[in-house]
Amino acid sequence: MGNYFSSMFDKLWGSNKEIRILILGLDGAGKTTILYRLQIGEVVTTKPTIGFNVETLTYKNLKLNVWDLGGQTSIRPYWRCYYTDTAAVIFVVDSTDKDRMSTASKELHMMLQEEELQDSALLVFANKQDQPGALTASEVSKELNLVELKERSWSIVASSAIKGEGITEGLDWLIDVIKEEQL
Amino acid sequence: MPPLDKKIKKFLKDSVRIAPKISSKGELTELRTGLVSPYPQTRKDAIKKTIQQMTVGKDVSSLFPDVLKNIATNDVEQKKLVYLYVMNYAETHPELCILAVNTFVTDSEDPNPLIRCMAVRTMSMIRVDKILDYLETPLRRTLQDDNPYVRKTAVICVAKVFQLDKQLCLNLGVLTDLVSALEDPNPVVVANTIASLTEIYAMDSTVINLNDLIQSHVSKFLLALNECTEWARITILTVLSKYSAKDSIEAQDIIDRVTAHLQHVNPAVVLATVKVIIINLDLTKPQINDPVMKKLSSAMISIMSTPPEIQFIALKNIRIILEKYPELLTKETRIFFVKFNDPLYVKLEKIEILVRLVDASNIKQCTILLNELKEYTREFEPEFVSKAIQALSQLAIKYSKESFCNKVLDILLELLERQDTFKDDCCIAISNLLRHCPTSTQMVTQACGLLNTWVEPELILNRDEAKCNYVWLLGQYPDKFSSLEERILGFVENFRQEDPLTQTAVLATIVRLHTRLPGTILQTILELATKETIVIDIRDMAMMYWRCLSIPGGDELVQQLCNTAPPAIDNILDTFPPEILKKLIQELATISSITFRPQATNAKKYVRPETVVKGKKLDELKNIAKNEIVKNDEVLLDFGDDATEENNKNTTTLDDLDDLFNFGTVLPKESNSGTNLESDFNKLGINGGRQDTNTTSTSTTTQDLMDLF
Ligand SMILES: Nc1nc2c(ncn2[C@@H]2O[C@H](COP(=O)(O)OP(=O)(O)O)[C@@H](O)[C@H]2O)c(=O)[nH]1
Ligand SMILES: [Mg+2]
Repeated sequence: MGNYFSSMFDKLWGSNKEIRILILGLDGAGKTTILYRLQIGEVVTTKPTIGFNVETLTYKNLKLNVWDLGGQTSIRPYWRCYYTDTAAVIFVVDSTDKDRMSTASKELHMMLQEEELQDSALLVFANKQDQPGALTASEVSKELNLVELKERSWSIVASSAIKGEGITEGLDWLIDVIKEEQL
Repeated sequence: MPPLDKKIKKFLKDSVRIAPKISSKGELTELRTGLVSPYPQTRKDAIKKTIQQMTVGKDVSSLFPDVLKNIATNDVEQKKLVYLYVMNYAETHPELCILAVNTFVTDSEDPNPLIRCMAVRTMSMIRVDKILDYLETPLRRTLQDDNPYVRKTAVICVAKVFQLDKQLCLNLGVLTDLVSALEDPNPVVVANTIASLTEIYAMDSTVINLNDLIQSHVSKFLLALNECTEWARITILTVLSKYSAKDSIEAQDIIDRVTAHLQHVNPAVVLATVKVIIINLDLTKPQINDPVMKKLSSAMISIMSTPPEIQFIALKNIRIILEKYPELLTKETRIFFVKFNDPLYVKLEKIEILVRLVDASNIKQCTILLNELKEYTREFEPEFVSKAIQALSQLAIKYSKESFCNKVLDILLELLERQDTFKDDCCIAISNLLRHCPTSTQMVTQACGLLNTWVEPELILNRDEAKCNYVWLLGQYPDKFSSLEERILGFVENFRQEDPLTQTAVLATIVRLHTRLPGTILQTILELATKETIVIDIRDMAMMYWRCLSIPGGDELVQQLCNTAPPAIDNILDTFPPEILKKLIQELATISSITFRPQATNAKKYVRPETVVKGKKLDELKNIAKNEIVKNDEVLLDFGDDATEENNKNTTTLDDLDDLFNFGTVLPKESNSGTNLESDFNKLGINGGRQDTNTTSTSTTTQDLMDLF
C-alpha cells in the first residue's frame, strides 16, 4: 500500500515538475554532442550552435529539461537569460584546448557568481579524453581552480562524448545531488 | 524516505492545481516568472498572456529570451504561440532572434508540416545575415518537402531571402529550385511560385527571364486556375494578362478558360479576369453581341453592387475599358445613375461614366440622362453640382443637335437665375455650348443676355478658365453686352492678378475690339502685357500685336488675325492618348487604373522606406538647398539638420525658400506662374517636373540677387 502511494506520488510529481539543467562551455567543447548522446544515445554531426538546443529527457524517473547553449562569444551574454530556476549546470571543457583553459575558467567563475545560480550543482566534464594530449580530470580541475568553490556541490568527470564514456557516470552523480538537495 | 505527510505537502505544492496562476493584469515581472516556471501549464498560460499584451500594443519585447525558451516543445499549440511572438518582433529585434536559429533549423525537420512551415517562414523574415547562413539547409529541404503546404511557403521565402541578400540567394542556387517549382503538381504552389518570381523580377529583372517563364507555362497556369484559392487565382490571372497569345484561337481558348471567374464573389478576382479577357479580345475581335461581351458587362454590373470603395475602383477601371469598348455597357446606363446615399467620390465617377456611356444616336437615352443630370444640379454638394454642369455641356455636345443644346442652355440659365453659386462652371459650359453651335443666334442672345447682367464679372468669377471664357465671349459677341468698355476695364485693372489664360484672353479681346474702345485701353493693355507679365507667350503676343498695329495698314492685318472664326468644338470629353490607353489596359486593376497614370517603366520599385526617408535622396535635396544659401551669403537662414527629417517638410522648406528668394526681386509672381507655365505652355518645352521648375526658378532668382549685390 505504502509502496503504491509513493510510486503514484513519484509519477505525478515527476510529470509535473521539470528539472532544468544547463550545459555550458566554450564553443566546440562538445556540449551539443553530449546533449544528443544523452537524448538519443548517438553521436550526431553538429554545426556550431547559434542559440540553443533543448531536449527533455526522462532519467531515473525524473524529467530533465536540458539546455545546450551556444558557446560563441557573441552568444555568451545571453546565457544569463537561462539561469533562473536552474537545478544544475554541466560545464563542458575541451581537455585538449590548453590555450583556452583560462578563458573557460574565467567564464565558469563569472557565471557561478550569478545570484540565480547560487543553489545549483556543478558538474564539469573534462571532455575529449579520447584525444591524445588531453589533460586529465585533475589537471583540468586545477586549471579551472575548482577547489576554490565553496558551499557548492561540484564534481569533475573525465569523458568522451564520442565514445560515450563518463557521461552517464557524471549524470548519475548529478541526479543524486539534485534529489538530495533540491527535491 | 521522507515521512508521508511531508510528501503530501510537497505533492500539493508541486501539483498542477496549485501551479502559480498568472493574473489577468499581465505585469511584466509576473509574466517573466510565469514564462520560466517549472510548470508547463503555467508557462503556456504566461505565453498566452504575453501575446495578449502584445496584440493590444504593449511592448513585451523585454520578455523575448524568456518567451523564446518555450519554443522547444512538443506542444504544437505552444509552439505556434511562440512563433507568433517571435515573428512579431523578428523585424524590430533581430539580434534576439539569433537565439532561436538552432530551433528553427531543427523545426524545419519536424514531422509536423505546420511547424516546418513556420520555421522556414520565420527564418526568412529575420533581417540578420548570421541567420541566412543557417537558412540554406532548411530552405532547400522545405522547397522539396513532401507536403504542398510547406512547399508553397518555401517558394515565397525565396523571394524574401532574395530581398535580404540577393547574392546569397544566387549562390545558394535556390532560384533554380524556384523555377522548377513552376512544374509542381499543386496549383497553390504554382501560384505562389509565380508570385514569388514576379516579386524577384521586380527587384532585379536580370536574374530571371520572367516573360519567357510566363510564355512557356501558360497551360500550367490555366490548369492551376480552377483549383487554387482566390488570392492565388488573382496572381495567376495577373500573370496570364501578361501573356501574349499567339493567335486568335489561343486567345479565344484563354478567354473561354477564364470566363467562369467573372462570376466570382471576390471583386479582385472579377477585375483580374476582366483584364485577361480584355487583353485577349484584341486578337479575337468580337462583335458587340458576342456572348463574352455580355458576360463582361454583367460582371462589371455585379461589381457595382459592392461597397462604395470597391465601386470606386470598378468605376475607374470601367472608364478605361469604355474608352476601348465604348458600346460595352450602353444598355446599362441606369446602373450608373447616382444614388442619394453614394459617397461623393462615387457620385463624381458615376457622372464621368454616364456621359461616356450614353449612346449619342439614341435620343431617348440622351433625354433620360439629361433629366437625370438636371436633377443632380439641384443637389447640395458643390463638387457634385459642378460635375453635373460640366456633364450637361458634355452631353449636349456629344448629342450635338441644336435643339438639345438649347435645352441644356435653358437648364443652365435657369440654374444661374436660381442661385448665385456655380457661375464659374456655368460660364465655361455656356461658352462651350456656344462654340458648338456658333450659328444659333437665339442661343447667343439668351446666353449673353444673362451674362450681361453680371456686374464686375472679373470679381464674380474665380477660376482662370471661367474668366477667360467670359472675356472671349465679350470679344466674340460685343454687341450683346452693354457697357462693354466698363466690363473690359475691370479686367484690365485686375490684369496683374490674373492667371495666364485670362491675361491672354484680355489682351486678344482688347486688340480685337480696339476700334470700338478708347485708345488708352489698348495702350494700357499693351504696356501691361509687355512689362507686367512674366509669361513669355503673352509678352511675345503683345509685342507682335503692337508691332502689327504700328505698321501702315496694320489695322487690317490685326482685324484679319482676330476675326478668323475659331473651329467649332465637337467633343469636350477627355480621352486618353492611344499609347497611354494601351498601357492602362495592360495595367487594369492596379493602382495605375486609379491614377490614370501608367507605371513608369524605369521607376525604382522596392526602395525600402527607411532608405527613402533617411537616405541619399533627402541628403541631396538638403545639399541643393544648402548650396543655394551658401552661394548667396547675404541671406541668413537657419537651415538646421533637423529641418529636413521628413520628405514633405523638406519640399515645403524648398518652397519657402523660393518664396523668400522671390520676395523683393523684380519678378513677384515667379513661383506661381512657373507652374502655370508648365501646365499651359508646355509646347514651349518647359515641361519639366515641379521639382525642375523649382530648381530653375531658385537658381535664376539667386542669379538675380547676385546681380543686385
Ligand atoms: N574527439 C572528440 N571529439 C569530440 C568530442 N565531443 C565533441 N567532439 C567534437 O567536437 C566538435 C564540437 O562539438 P559540439 O558538440 O558541436 O560542441 P559545442 O559547440 O560545445 O556544442 C564536433 O566536431 C564534435 O564531433 C569528444 O569527446 N571527443
Ligand atoms: Mg553546440
